[in-house]
Amino acid sequence: MQRIPATQRVNLELAAREHGLEYVPGVGISGWDESAYYQFTLQQIEEDIEGTAEEIEDLCFQVVDRAINNEEVLKRLSIPEAFWDYIAQSWKDGEKNLLGRMDLSYNGNGPAKLLEYNADTPTTLYETAVFQWEWLEHALDKGLISENCDQLNDVHESLVGAFSNLNLRGLTHFSCNQEIEDDKGTLDYIEECAREAGIKSRSINMEEIGIDDEGRFTDLDNHNINTLVKLYPWEWLMAEKFGNHIPTSGVKFIEPPWKTILANKGLLPLLWGMFEGHPNLLPSFFEDDPSSGLLIDSGNYVRKPLLSRQGANIEIVENGEVLLKNDGPYADELHIVQGFEPLPEFEGRYPLVGCWMVASKPVGLCIREDDTLVTGTTAKVLPHVIHEEK
Amino acid sequence: MLKVKKTNFSRSIGVSLVVSASLISLTACDEPKVDASVFKSLEQCKKDPMMRASQCETSFKEARNQHAAVAPKYTSQADCQADFGEGKCERAPYRTSTGGSVFMPMMMGYMMGSMLGGRTSMMSQPLYRSAKNPGTFRTADNRSVGSKTGKTSVARSATSRPSFKSSTISRGGFGSSGRRFGSAAT
Repeated sequence: MQRIPATQRVNLELAAREHGLEYVPGVGISGWDESAYYQFTLQQIEEDIEGTAEEIEDLCFQVVDRAINNEEVLKRLSIPEAFWDYIAQSWKDGEKNLLGRMDLSYNGNGPAKLLEYNADTPTTLYETAVFQWEWLEHALDKGLISENCDQLNDVHESLVGAFSNLNLRGLTHFSCNQEIEDDKGTLDYIEECAREAGIKSRSINMEEIGIDDEGRFTDLDNHNINTLVKLYPWEWLMAEKFGNHIPTSGVKFIEPPWKTILANKGLLPLLWGMFEGHPNLLPSFFEDDPSSGLLIDSGNYVRKPLLSRQGANIEIVENGEVLLKNDGPYADELHIVQGFEPLPEFEGRYPLVGCWMVASKPVGLCIREDDTLVTGTTAKVLPHVIHEEK
Repeated sequence: MLKVKKTNFSRSIGVSLVVSASLISLTACDEPKVDASVFKSLEQCKKDPMMRASQCETSFKEARNQHAAVAPKYTSQADCQADFGEGKCERAPYRTSTGGSVFMPMMMGYMMGSMLGGRTSMMSQPLYRSAKNPGTFRTADNRSVGSKTGKTSVARSATSRPSFKSSTISRGGFGSSGRRFGSAAT
């Protein structure tokens, strides 16, 4: 794993415009940086990233399998009781999942460690699937990188394939908070993949969704919503006014309800509880669990809310001192503590390796760099290549 | 922007609501009448010398396609039969919110709208017959169009497009967390 400086495309602004990405003059594309790229060996990708992700996915499924029938666990995850049966049923019915991104701490050597699993509303999808791929083609074309470079990037084809496998009938609705451009852009791209798979689609703003006299959700034309692809967290949906209608709405949700268990930071202590000592896991505990004491006493840990986004309310303690503490709106959540595994440092930047899962298969890599150990809203995606010496 | 929309509930036709026989009542008689054509079947329409076969087929298909969406819905077959008659109900291609079966009356005929305003394509809709008044055709919205077949005149309100039997009673029940927390991105 190396960080290699690169020449930016001359027409970066044009490329940004073509792809609907925000371009700030003098700064570049927000959320994207191609002044460098990360290079991996095939072995690093296949064994340390893909292999790890497959393994973790398997462990996660074992956690879900156990959690859905365990009231104590569901309570710990702060999942409202009204949804326990609903979530369990979705798992028993084998409802298919679509997307997720595992965030790994990985420096090129030794086992990658799971920091968290963004299993419900992952973003940076377009940057990974499309923009990064285009960069590769351009870089190969212009000879900026060696010709035997490749990328772990089957995201687009996999998404289209996964939509075909979902066997969706009729109209599929796509919903998010459309005022957030990033969210809308991501969901628009997912919708595009669905259309490529022959699915009829319509997008709707989350707050425009209606409810009819039968407790079914409706769109602005009063058509019933039968399938809803959402880029809106399950815990928000469950807590909102229409939330109690979800279990009886007859709507097929993507991601399916059982993903709530994986998208919760409580997954990490659950994984550790079942597979303590696994090389790809970090010791993790619910903060109110007496077992967390030893980790806290060690003075090296990270404290995270069960449900938080974009690095908000994350606190790192190193050698007994607070190294970093992010503010945010999630301070009141229950927290977990996790062993501190610092991200590797490359020239003052801290890359976080994101492995994209489509239908539970590792199909893409997304490196996000930030200038702090917590990857937040200021992070930028850098392209990657797989390079094999000939 | 929050959009809350309330729709007219007076028709009270919904899957979860049992429609009682009392709902079947006559519409106002003073309404202006418009021309329409009523047929009990596609065959009857085709045999009518005033009609072209292709016209019959197109409008029958249009009515047939609307049938499941606009027909009154019942959660019990007995209730449906009480309103529409023994053996005159069928299973609707829907489920209740709890997964139960939904029933609706069979389509007993169809009505083609008039050619008012020189429209060549005519609005068509399915018709039903109640158990209490089996001689009279009525629309999915329970408006009587009389018992005559062929060219006839009906109350103008009866020719309006029948409503889908699913009506939005409110909006804005999702989205509040997004307004509070911002991006859903992880």
